[in-house]
Amino acid sequence: MRSWRITDAELRQWLQRLIDGAGTVIAPASDDGLLVYRPISSADEAVVEASGITRWSAKERLLPRTETLYAYTASGNEVTVASPPTEPSPQVLFGVPSCDAAGLLRLDDVLLSGIEDPFYAARRRATTVVSIACAEAAPECFCTAVGGSPAGVAGVDVRLAPLGEGWLVEPLTERGGELVAAAGVAGWQEATAEDRTKVVEMEHRVASSIGREPVPPEWAELLEAGFDHQVWERIGWYCLGCSVCASVCPSCSCFDMHHEADVFGGEELRTWDACTFALFTRHASGHNPRSTQAQRFRQRLLHKLAFRRSDEPVRCVGCGRCVALCPAGLDIHSEVVAAAAAIAEEVSNGTG
Amino acid sequence: VSTVNRAEVSAGAAAAAEGWQPQIVALVCNWCSYAGADMAGTTRLQYPPAVRMVRFPCTGRMHPLMVLKAFEGGADGVLVSGCHPGDCHYVHGNLVARRRFAIFRALMDFLGLDMRRLHFSWVSAAEGQKWARVVLEVTEAVRAAGPLPERGYSEHGADVDLPAAQDDGPPQVSDEALTALRSHLRRAAASALEDGRAMAVLGLGRSSRGRPHAPLVVTNAVDCQQLEWGVGWGGSPASYLAAAAREHGRVAVVARACELGGVIGLAREGQVARDRLVIIGVQCLGASDGDRLADRCARCSGAPDGSCDVVVTPAGAVAGTGSPGEAERRPGDPRDRQIAYLESLPHAQRWGFWQRQLARCLRCYACRAVCPLCYCSSCVAEKHRPQWVSTAIDSRGNTAWNVIRALHLAGRCSGCDECTRACPADIRLDLLNRKLTQEVEERYGQIGLSLEERSALVDFRMEDGEEFIR
Repeated sequence: MRSWRITDAELRQWLQRLIDGAGTVIAPASDDGLLVYRPISSADEAVVEASGITRWSAKERLLPRTETLYAYTASGNEVTVASPPTEPSPQVLFGVPSCDAAGLLRLDDVLLSGIEDPFYAARRRATTVVSIACAEAAPECFCTAVGGSPAGVAGVDVRLAPLGEGWLVEPLTERGGELVAAAGVAGWQEATAEDRTKVVEMEHRVASSIGREPVPPEWAELLEAGFDHQVWERIGWYCLGCSVCASVCPSCSCFDMHHEADVFGGEELRTWDACTFALFTRHASGHNPRSTQAQRFRQRLLHKLAFRRSDEPVRCVGCGRCVALCPAGLDIHSEVVAAAAAIAEEVSNGTG
Repeated sequence: VSTVNRAEVSAGAAAAAEGWQPQIVALVCNWCSYAGADMAGTTRLQYPPAVRMVRFPCTGRMHPLMVLKAFEGGADGVLVSGCHPGDCHYVHGNLVARRRFAIFRALMDFLGLDMRRLHFSWVSAAEGQKWARVVLEVTEAVRAAGPLPERGYSEHGADVDLPAAQDDGPPQVSDEALTALRSHLRRAAASALEDGRAMAVLGLGRSSRGRPHAPLVVTNAVDCQQLEWGVGWGGSPASYLAAAAREHGRVAVVARACELGGVIGLAREGQVARDRLVIIGVQCLGASDGDRLADRCARCSGAPDGSCDVVVTPAGAVAGTGSPGEAERRPGDPRDRQIAYLESLPHAQRWGFWQRQLARCLRCYACRAVCPLCYCSSCVAEKHRPQWVSTAIDSRGNTAWNVIRALHLAGRCSGCDECTRACPADIRLDLLNRKLTQEVEERYGQIGLSLEERSALVDFRMEDGEEFIR
């Protein structure tokens, strides 16, 4: 596909045209000082930068924190049921880093495979992803350790990459091509091989600056083999049982269903849930198969980095948000390295 | 992305706003106000029909969550009414309620609820006339306030510009002092383990690349070398104290001055036994919040209180005096200016400011998880028979959750600001906590460090202020 080299002004212009066209544009923007993804009404609101990351991922734009599955009102013997619209308006996720784009594919694995989730699927089909390649890695970043790249294209329809001055615009899918054609191109300068080389060099530079040890796929078996190893207790003891990690995670997709009603009507809702909460697995009898916080921590870590089919990537995309925000200072990457080392040592000593 | 909700389904009701009449929920006690209303009826007094009554045994049984529930259910105003002081059927239920509602009212006022919507009265069984008058006054006040404003993210409040916090850069620390503190701290911790006063020491140490020191538990004297001290702020050992005490029995905990209140609170509230607890108070050199001094440090000298069992300063580790000293309170907490500024704004703007803040709440409960004094094994946020706090992560549950978290800490919070540090959404929980501490201390006296002290909201005095009660 063709690619372009555009100026900052052209980028803003394109973004403004996307906003003016049909649908919603979601971009990193300040919410009273906090950088989050939110719908923007003018291109100036968007923080389009090749470094820095929103406080949490864009997943709530596809899997809302809480959504109504159906609602009803009751009046006497009359019950009126309303279902939510299944045809959401088109949306563009603009300026997401590669890790967040990859996170959407992880959500797809869960919510589109097997029985499709109609609410998620409808939004997903209406979503186009414009990524920005990273020109800098934060201290918490570790995408390269889990098979990603600071300029990765998985899940991306159009990739933007900083060229120092201006941006390289590369449509990667048919839908991405349409997005560019619909609102840009006229007057844009064709990109050169040099521009593309520059981005490849940047990708290498940023990737090598991350310097976190890779989490190889073979560790999955090792970690599962060491399921009962005491290392989990030692590390997981510090988990405080909140859900900061799952809430900010681009690939955590667990939810709970609940019903809220009074005499006038009610709603069936689904709301984000997290395996780090004790209530996540507690049975009605009171029995909890994951009875300690350390077990719950182990569950999350293994689900992010081990439990998988052999042909699947791990679920963690290495955005580093949980590392930056864990109030207990737990670092999923350091902890998995420590756990793998402890388990491997026991295996090699023949005591496992 | 549009979704339906019940409000839209019943849009017809909202559309009838023209013919709007105030809807008021009255929470009344069985023995006085309910009987007073009965008296008004049998006396054939006329008063506006806007009030729906809910009868309780006592105002002491009325929880602020019940008031919130009424507002959530669409009430434009709420009236809480019970027996005059001295008349309580249960001796002092109304006196405890008086403190609780004084503080609740202050919080709702601070959050921007129009105070024409929230009313309190003492109406005895003989006061039919007073009941009719109170209902008339309350109805007119609520009518003047108009329909309840929407909860949730609003454009209103976007222009609130809090006075800047101090920014003198991170705390300056001499390496010499730090090295001395570290070495005395490690020795004090090792000695507690060696002579069996503690089976585990909770301190700071563990940290991943470039992150500040985080809590560390140590169970043998050699590992005490891993204990760290510094200005990094990556968690509080006190967050783990209740759990560690259950697990290890005798525990030593390393505490900054601001964390001591949480530790003492756990002992005071029976979560840890004071005589099975070794408190190692270490001279705090200030905590850094990013690249500046944390707000709470402005008013604190950082000196360990005498009630600590071991007091560690750069000069050495000595035994504490065994009795709490008068904490030195310096002025200059930037939050005080921010609170005063917010209070100078009209209610609607304040409501907008806080609704924008609370709309960000992800309900991750990190605030609860790190708080030393949030130790309930089953939190009211998780009760669902009945459900007082909606689990929906939106305006339904977010306001109720944040209100009740702050209220449960009123009079108990030691101001360590762990909840604010832990919040991934940067909600200004510290402003809520600080405001409530100001209110409690102004009304009921300074929150101290004595083991015998009772938390202000489970205590009462006959002469407590009731200027807000009709």
